[in-house]
Parts: sequence; C-alpha cells; structure tokens
Amino acid sequence: MLSPERLALPDYEYLAQRHVLTYMEDAVCQLLENKEDISQYGIARFFTEYFNSVCQGTHILFREFSFIQATPHNRASFLRAFWRCFRTVGKNGDLLTMREYHCLLQLLCPDFPLELTQKAARIVLMDDAMDCLMSFSDFLLAFQIQFYYSEFLESVAAIYQDLLSGKNPNTVIVPTSSSGQHRQRPALGEASTLEGVEASLFCQCLENLCDRHKYSCPPPALVKEALSDVQRLTFCGFLVALSKHNGINQALGALPDKGDLMHDPAMDAELERLLVQIPGLVNSVTAGPEASCLPSRPPPRVGSPWRPLHHARKVDAESDGSTEETDESET
Amino acid sequence: MDFQAEVNCGLHLVIQTSSLPEKNKVEFRLNKETSSFPGRLLQHDLERNYSSRQGDHINLVSSSMPSFPILQRSSEEKILYSDRLTLERQKLTVCPIIDGEEHLRLLNFQHNFITRIQNISNLQRLIFLDLYDNQIEEISGLSTLRSLRVLLLGKNRIKKISNLENLKSLDVLDLHGNQITKIENVNHLCDLRVLNLARNLLSHVDNLNGLDSLTELNLRHNQITFVRDVDNLPCLQRLFLSFNNISTFESVCCLADSTSLSDITFDGNPIAQESWYKHTILQNMMQLRQLDMKRITEEERRMASVVAKKEEEKKRESHKQSLLKEKKRLIINNVARKWDLQQNRITNIATNQERKDSDSQDNSQNDGGTMSAFPEETGSLDSGLTSALQGLSVTDTHLVEVDGDTLSLYGSGALECLDRNWSVQTAGMVTTVSFTFIEFDEIVQVLPKLKIKFPNSLHLKFKETNLVMLQQFNALAQLRRVDQLTVDPQGNPVVNFTLWKYYVLFRLSHFSMQKINGTEVTQNDMIMAERLFGILAHVASSELPQYRLISILGDARKKQFRYLLETKGKKPGIVNEENNDSKRLVGENTNRATLNYTTRDFYNEKLEEIKEKKKFCKTYIEDLVKEATEINMKNEALQKLWPQMFIELVRDAVIEIRNKNSYMKICLQQITDQK
Repeated sequence: MLSPERLALPDYEYLAQRHVLTYMEDAVCQLLENKEDISQYGIARFFTEYFNSVCQGTHILFREFSFIQATPHNRASFLRAFWRCFRTVGKNGDLLTMREYHCLLQLLCPDFPLELTQKAARIVLMDDAMDCLMSFSDFLLAFQIQFYYSEFLESVAAIYQDLLSGKNPNTVIVPTSSSGQHRQRPALGEASTLEGVEASLFCQCLENLCDRHKYSCPPPALVKEALSDVQRLTFCGFLVALSKHNGINQALGALPDKGDLMHDPAMDAELERLLVQIPGLVNSVTAGPEASCLPSRPPPRVGSPWRPLHHARKVDAESDGSTEETDESET
Repeated sequence: MDFQAEVNCGLHLVIQTSSLPEKNKVEFRLNKETSSFPGRLLQHDLERNYSSRQGDHINLVSSSMPSFPILQRSSEEKILYSDRLTLERQKLTVCPIIDGEEHLRLLNFQHNFITRIQNISNLQRLIFLDLYDNQIEEISGLSTLRSLRVLLLGKNRIKKISNLENLKSLDVLDLHGNQITKIENVNHLCDLRVLNLARNLLSHVDNLNGLDSLTELNLRHNQITFVRDVDNLPCLQRLFLSFNNISTFESVCCLADSTSLSDITFDGNPIAQESWYKHTILQNMMQLRQLDMKRITEEERRMASVVAKKEEEKKRESHKQSLLKEKKRLIINNVARKWDLQQNRITNIATNQERKDSDSQDNSQNDGGTMSAFPEETGSLDSGLTSALQGLSVTDTHLVEVDGDTLSLYGSGALECLDRNWSVQTAGMVTTVSFTFIEFDEIVQVLPKLKIKFPNSLHLKFKETNLVMLQQFNALAQLRRVDQLTVDPQGNPVVNFTLWKYYVLFRLSHFSMQKINGTEVTQNDMIMAERLFGILAHVASSELPQYRLISILGDARKKQFRYLLETKGKKPGIVNEENNDSKRLVGENTNRATLNYTTRDFYNEKLEEIKEKKKFCKTYIEDLVKEATEINMKNEALQKLWPQMFIELVRDAVIEIRNKNSYMKICLQQITDQK
C-alpha cells in the first residue's frame, strides 16, 4: 500500500487514475437525487452501501450508459452482471440475433447504444449478414472485447488502416525490413494472398500504442501470444483472436473461462428456489437445469470464485469510524 | 273437309264443298267487347262454313299473270255468303286473285303456305283478314284496306312491323308467333284496342305512344328485360308479361304510373322468384285488381304495405350503417397514412393539392412550429409537407370506437378519449382495448387512466404501436390485471424476437395470463420464462443496494401519481386507493418491481435534469479534493518540518530551565502578573 510509485504521482492525478473521483461524484449525485428517501436512514449508511455495491459490481445495474462506460471497473462489472443475468438464456441453447442481444442489454441499461452491439456482432459474424444467429458465449466474449477496450480498438483500427495503406505510423521505431512492407495497393478486401498486415509489425505498433495510451489496453505480452502463430492478419482476425484468447479473458477478470461460461452454481441454486415458488407448479422442476438441450457438462469446479477486482477502493468518507463498514464489506 | 290438289305450273285451286249442317255455322260478329284471347278465339271461332256448294273444280283461268290462280265462286254462294270467304287449309302458296267480290268483308286464309300478301288490294271493304299460320315474311299489300279492323297475322315469319300506315281503323292486331324484334310503326293506330305480340323476339318494350285506345297488350313469351312508355297508354287495362326476362321492379317502374292498369301477369319472369316480388308489386301498383290471374285481396294489400315499410326501414338502416363504416374506413386510412409518414415509411411524395397547401402556408410557418408537431420525424421531411398535414381537419386524425366489449383506438389523438366521462355501464362492459397506430410510449402514459376508467379491461391488443424493446413490456405491470395480450407483428418489431413471450410471462407473472397472441399459456411456458429470466429478477431485487431500490420504486410511484393528478375529477379517495394498490403490487413481487420502463422522452428528460446536478457534484468534489490535497500538502510539509521544530522546542525548553533559581523566579512573577 505504501509503495513509492503511489506517492510519486501528484494528488489529483493519483485520484484520477484510480477513478476515485468518478465514484465520489456519482455518489454525491445519487445522494442529491434521492435526498428525501436517503435522509430517512442516514448518509453514512448510504455511502457504505454505495461503495459496497461498487465493490460487488452491482452499482451499474439500470444506470445510464455514460456511467457504465466511465471506468474500466464499471465496464467489467457490467459485463459480469450481463453474464450472470442472462447466462440462462445461453444455457437454454437459444441462438439469438444481434438485435435480441441488444434488447437484453437494454434491459440492464436502457440507453445502451446500438453501435457497440453491432460492432461486437461484427466480430462474431465476420461482417456477414447481420441478422445471423449467434450463440451466447460467442457474443459475450466478443462483446467483452469490444466494450471493455473500445477506445483502444478504435486506435488500433486507425493503425491498421495506416498499415494497410502503406503508411507506417511508427516514426519512432522502424523495423529493419520496412521497405518490403510498403504496399502499393492500399485497398481492403482484395482477394489476394497478401491480406491484412504483417503480424509482427502490427504487434510492434500495438506495444507502442499501449505504452502511451491512457485508456486500458490488454497486456501486450498476451496480445503477442495471441498473434504468435499467424503471419498476416486482418483487423477482423485480430479481434477474433483477442476474443477467443483465454488469457486476455482472465486478465480482464470479469468473466469466467470460456468453458465455464454456462456455470454458476450459486445462481443455479437460487434459480431452483425461484422455480419452486411458481404458483400452482407441480414438481416438474425436478428435471433441473440439466434438462436444457446442452450436452452434459464436466463436473463443476467447487466454488469458482470471482477474483476480486482491483482498482476501486473505498475512500475514507467522513465516517464516525464505526465498525459497521467492515461488517458490510465482502471480498 | 277434303280437298284435292293438282300440281300444275301454277296452282290449281279446288274448292270443294262440304255439307256442314247449318247449325255448325258460327256467325262472326264484330263487337266492341272482346275477351281475353282475341287472336286465338277468333281463330277458333272462325266460321268454317264454306258454302260453295258446287263440286266443280275451278280451274286455272288464263290471266295476265299465269302464276296466280283466280278464284271464282258460284253465284249462289256469292249471294248466300256475300261478305265472307274462307280459304282455310287450301295449300295455297300465294294469294289468289279474287274477282268480283268487292263486297267481301271477311277473308280467311288460315293454315296455308302463303308467303306474301297480294292480290287483295281490290277488296276495299275488307274488315276482317285472317292470315294465321302461313309463311308470310313481311307485312305488305294492305295499303288499300282502309276499313280493316281485325288483322290476324299470327304464326308467320314476320320480322318487322311495317306498312300499316293506312290501317287507321285497326281494332285488333295479332302478330303472335313471329320474329318481331322491335315495336315500331304502330303509333298511328289510335283505335287499336288489342295488340298481341306474344312469342316474338322482343327484348324491350317502348315506343307505345299514340295507342290511345289500347286496352290489352299481350307480350308473353318474349325476352323482355324492361318496359317503358306504358304509362302513356291511357286505356291499358290488361298487360301480360309472362315468361320474359324481367328481374327488377325498376325495369318496369313505369307501370306504377299507369292509372288504368288493373290486370297484370309476371309469372315465368325472374322477378316472380324474388322474395320481395309480391309486396313490391302490390305496394307500387295500388290500382291493380289481379296479379298473375289471381284476384288481389285486401289482406294481401295490407301485408304488402307492412312488409314494404319494414324493408324501407331496413334499407335505411343498412345504408346508414354502410355510410358509417365507410367513414370509419376513411378515418382509419387517414390515421394509417399519418402514422406511416411519422415512421418515415412513405417517401416524400407531395401531391399537387398538398403542394398548393404548402405554398400558401409556407410563409406563415416557421420550422420550429412544424417540427414540434411531429417529434418523431427527422429533419429529412419536407417542412412544406408537414404543414400541409397540419391543414387536415383535426377530427379526422383519430378514431374511437366502442363496440360492445371492445374499445378500439386509432391514432394518438384517440387517447384523449380516456379523459371523457364514460357511463359506468359502457365502461364496465369493455373487456378488450385495442390500440392501433399509436406510439407505445404514449400509451404507457395513459395506462393509469385506463386502469381507472375501464376497470374490466382484461385483454390488450397492440398493432402498429412501435414496440421495439422487451423493456417496454415492463410498463404493463402497473395495470390491475391482464388476462390476454395480443401483439400484432405488423408494426411491432419486438415480436420478431424469439424470447418475447417468455419475457412477458416472466415480467407479468403476477397477472397469470391466459393467452398471448391467441395461444394458451401452458405451465411449461411459465417454467421456461422463469428459468430464462428468474436470475434477472433475483439480481434486480436482492443485489441492488437499498437506496437504489427505494429510488427506483419511488420513481415509479411518483410517475403514476403525476399522471393521476393530471386527470380531472380526482378524488382523494382514489389517490389513497392507488397508494394501497401500488403498495400491494410491490408486495406481490418485489423482485420484479424494479424492472421498470421509462419512455424515451421521459428518460432523456431525467438525464437532462441530472446534468445540472452532476455539474454541481463535480465542482463540489473538486473543491473537496482541493481542500483535501491542501490539507495533505500541509500535513506533508508539517511532517517534513516537524523533526526540526521538535528539536528546537526541546532546546528552548532546556535552555529555559538551565538556571533553576532564575526560572522559579520568572514563573512566580508570571503568576502574580496574571492576577
């Protein structure tokens, strides 16, 4: 906690980097909006609950898109919430169109923009007809990449275009054999064997981007690993590789591994309880979640815990120093 | 009667005698009162007495025209039957020349093979001429017979009525069984009383003016489809139209204007098969005494008028209905068009009319005004077109219809009808409410009113209401109860989603819906719905922090009250009831209650409001941060300086106390000074 680099940054920047201010502002804003209701049970308790929910990742439920997008932690929480809420849809085996997934997204965030969903769908469908059906896991992983790293991806797209048109954006470091990579024909989509760009050069550019980018980027090492076995790649291919790479998924920390995407024993138990409560229900529930059309799964890992996310920490609010806070917090 | 015929180059006319007993002689009498079948009767009544008794043959006498035989009778016969001559069944193919019989009044040529009427122009006293059953093709050769009263030309091959100009005294004209297609050239026969045109090829009846004495007109067995001019016959009493092609009363409506008609037949026509035949005829022809040869009784007449009145009523009623229906259809079309325009589905094709309107209204409109009327439109629509649309009359832009148990609303203006005062009975009967061409967001805003005004509405139908998000169904949760839901795929893209029904069942599970889009809801459906979305509900309720729960629920309640407050006639009692209602609702399924729907406009409004607050918060936090950083800085500075300061403090203190005695003195001095 007392690492030297923490203290090296000036105060304001330090706070900004950890997005503490975003949460503080939002907390105060929420307080203002609901002051009649909240004043009933105390401001201290409000702040407690607020930051608890930030920790747990439930603060983004039914919030506006601008808030959800504001910090990486928010984005990851949103992805996780989406996964938890609609995992059952995927488990049921339904393949849905892009619009239907967008509808589900809108259930959690009413003003979620369509473009993001479209871009995510494009990753899965590789620019094919946008009305194709997608499986839940495919969509979710692609969506994760698109949403969490959206700014990063935009820059990468720009770089890709530059590379494609023969311009080398790397003015600082130029690989030795640069002349061979200048292409005369900048056009995309030409059915030539030389499609896309050189992988290694691409990686190089990405590393430079990561260094100077202030938005979150995937760990460069993992990116390199993902692209290690290809010579050339297109932008789409790059995105697909990213979304399918398990390491990046883990690094993000929002979702479980692809193989476990349908698994959530805690929620399943909860679901069973709910199903029993349906009025007038005869015990046709005994079939259980295994009744879905998915093949039998490997035995679930006991308590695959969600790795606690880093970043957001409670700021010492003007509490009375009671032990209430520690009681509520969970990690 | 026997006869002989000898074939020669011309014709041998052989007149045989036959001794008929005297008593078989039937006198032919001309009288004014003729009976129903003049033509036939006359045929039958025709005397068959030939009294040329001689047995001699009358041979061909040489004449200037060798083909015509010449008829001569013995002088005895001439004296006995000076005014009549019968040449029936004589196998005549031409009319013979009749010499020396200028007093002849009756001439009978029945049942021969005569093809042309000839050689009788000298018989200028002729009154009765019978050419029934011959092969005559054209009426001719009669122009000198000015005294002719009865002309019988039935069963010939006549194609056209002509050459009757001089027969002004004609009393009976029988042309039945011919091939006549048109009534013509009879208008001068002002003494004609009986006209028989049965069994011809007539297709219609007109051109009857001038027949001022006509009392009987026989038109049976033709192909008549309509009748005209009959009202111009002042004396017509009997009209026989059996076995024609008359199918409506309108085609014979002139008969109603004829005051003289007393006897009419229509049997064998299509009209006689109609259910309204009898009473329509009776009602329109009050002067009739016999219809289809049957006497008309008073009872029948009475019935006819009653039935006719009822028919009239019915027709009026159905006419009114069809007018109403038409009007409704027009309005609905109007609303549909407006809706399509709103949805930018119709390309901007302005008609000439609209262009004219827009030209005149352009100067008075400014863009701000036109845009506000149609908030859905983008700027691509021509402002001229929208101003033209505003010119449409307001009442034609929506339609409200109550039909027993269904309340149908077309167009967003129709939603205002919920503000009206509905009678308890009408409102209580309504179980189905159907919305068409109205934005769902607008419907959401009036749902509380709907709940109050139409408490028994259990079935909601949506068509062309722009349902695009699953979330919109959340808004229906505020209703008291919904048994059935019908969402028409037309204009509601949400139906294309595979999971929409399950979501509806899940969100509105407290309604225990029976049917969605006509199909029954099964237990399996409910299970599936819960299975798919149950976790969502769980997350939405248990994982939301308390303050968010309160704020979301509080929002929903506040919204409802706001709409309620805007309605007229609000009573405190109702408000309380609503309070209890929503509380109860919340209690029923808390875990879904947080799934709300705010209309897009409302949502954006809220976000706008929050912007101010956000700005304030930002500055507030910034101030706090500044303060905190300042304090932090000061703290750090203090930390740095503190060791030094501490050492100096200690040093100062040590120096002070070095000399104990002087220190004691100074302290005491200080104490006394303080007093």
